[in-house]
Amino acid sequence: MEKSIFRINKTFLAFIIFLIVVAVWNPLALIYGIQRGGLYSLIGLPLALILGIVGILNLAHGDFLTLGLYIGYIFFNLWDVDPLISSIPLFFIFFFIGIGLYLISIRYVLKAGHLNQLLLTFGISMILIEFIKIIWTTRPRSVYTPYASTSIPVGNLSIGIYEFIYPVVAIAILILLQLFLKKTRLGQAASAVGQNPKGAEIIGINTNFVYLMVFSIAFGIIGIAASIMLPRTPVFPLSGNSFTLKSFALAAMAGLGNLKGILIGGITLGVAEAIVQSIPGYSGWSDVVFFGVLIVVILINANRRLES
Amino acid sequence: MRNILIFIIATLILISLPFFTGAYFLHVLMTILIYMTLALSWDIMLRTGQLSFGIAGFFGVGAYASIITFSNFGFSPILSIFFAAGLVALIAAVLGFAVLKLREIYFAITTLALTMVFSVIIRNIPKLTGGASGKVLSNVIFNGDSTKIYWLILSIALITIIISEVFTKTRIQFAINSIRNDEIIAKSSGINIFKYLIFVFIITSALQGATGAIYAQQYGFVSPETTFSLDFLLLPMAMALVGGIYSTWGAVIGAIILGFASEYLKLIMPYGHLIIYGVMIVLIILFLPNGIYGTIIDKMYARKAEAKSKT
Repeated sequence: MEKSIFRINKTFLAFIIFLIVVAVWNPLALIYGIQRGGLYSLIGLPLALILGIVGILNLAHGDFLTLGLYIGYIFFNLWDVDPLISSIPLFFIFFFIGIGLYLISIRYVLKAGHLNQLLLTFGISMILIEFIKIIWTTRPRSVYTPYASTSIPVGNLSIGIYEFIYPVVAIAILILLQLFLKKTRLGQAASAVGQNPKGAEIIGINTNFVYLMVFSIAFGIIGIAASIMLPRTPVFPLSGNSFTLKSFALAAMAGLGNLKGILIGGITLGVAEAIVQSIPGYSGWSDVVFFGVLIVVILINANRRLES
Repeated sequence: MRNILIFIIATLILISLPFFTGAYFLHVLMTILIYMTLALSWDIMLRTGQLSFGIAGFFGVGAYASIITFSNFGFSPILSIFFAAGLVALIAAVLGFAVLKLREIYFAITTLALTMVFSVIIRNIPKLTGGASGKVLSNVIFNGDSTKIYWLILSIALITIIISEVFTKTRIQFAINSIRNDEIIAKSSGINIFKYLIFVFIITSALQGATGAIYAQQYGFVSPETTFSLDFLLLPMAMALVGGIYSTWGAVIGAIILGFASEYLKLIMPYGHLIIYGVMIVLIILFLPNGIYGTIIDKMYARKAEAKSKT
């Protein structure tokens, strides 16, 4: 146990040093990176939660995010509800979507292996996107709120203020989740199930209920993430799509069940991406950073595991 | 012997089809055969227990390799297809040393990430690849003679089927199955796991690269968005799973069913036909987890066993 704590500290130390170095060298990249990385972490958290505890790879993750954006858009457009306020109803709407989805489909593939889970969620994602296209067409939409476009001038550039909300909300949700997992009975049961589902069942934990709750809570967080990002995101049927892969990448990098790692990994990648984007003529390569770092980290981890 | 005879007759029928059917049906058939090749090659890799998400990546690299060697270096289309297969095999051989150490979702995610890396690299060397807008050929292969293109696609599909059957009928099958079922036992009984894994990985990747090359030559067009589309990953997976994994005919049947289904649905409802396609996939995963072919085979075995126990 001691050793693992030591390793987390070392990673954290490396992370802080990395941020300081970037801050001295290219402060703008640091700021953009933290904003972007905060968003990645915010969206990656629910996926990692589902993957780490329920053990399901949800390929429809980004598409549910898109659905959240559209529902937030409806709230804003029809009832004039500010996106930040609609994050509360969206949490509950998605919580219930999560319950429904789990009960009618996910629970049947829990034991069927990764492949069937992937294909099931792929089918769900397909259905979802087509529904969105039929109902709202592919026309891009957006939500305008005055506060989302405030910025402060730094030198001859200006930095958006609103985007700082991403890391803040990500950290807040992370803290709440940690409290939930450590302090509440359900949370403790969930941690136990995440570590050893069979053992948890033997000592009398209702694993099905735990899965249902964790799945639905994670879905609620998707709802929050969608409403938070709505003021700065164009809404179209594929707007959440690219986040599925990046969230996967984050979860794989952090290691299953390591929620804190999502935040550190997300911000590291966000900053690395921002650095590449700030080099003139090479901004198109920023995605290689994301997936390149992912591949390297996975390979290093695998080698470490093989040696031990 | 009877199976081989059936196979030969079916092949002859397939070869002579262009003389009897219209251009539209032939086109549908070509699309299905392309996806079938991808589905089957993915299934062959899956039999080793490695869930590869690299199909779309190798498909895309093959497509680009073929188009670039054809239009920039003046290779003949057929030669460019062979070149693409060889190049992808080489890439798979090099990458295999690193990625084949990984297992389960780590392998899956890494191969998926590789697909993304390929597509970003290709998008960012516009001088060679045409960048984000892609590359258009002035002329498609065989001057667009659909019969010859059909035969070309049919031949790659048949090669894949034959390779898959050879793998299930020879020693390789035992090695592959033992790796999937219990790697430690396989290792301790003296199987060189890595040798078999990399062999299968290279062969299936080369098939996917060649398929990509043929596809690109057929349409005379490549672009990062369409060529590296995750459709080329997920639809073949869906086909293999709907038909039934770990067998040649499962993937083939799945490709035929989903291929015709999607084509038919496209005709009767141009908007939203993918919903029904998605519902089909979901229902089959929920109610026939072994796939259509797998379920039929299971039933047949159960009936045979029952008949035996009665006598």
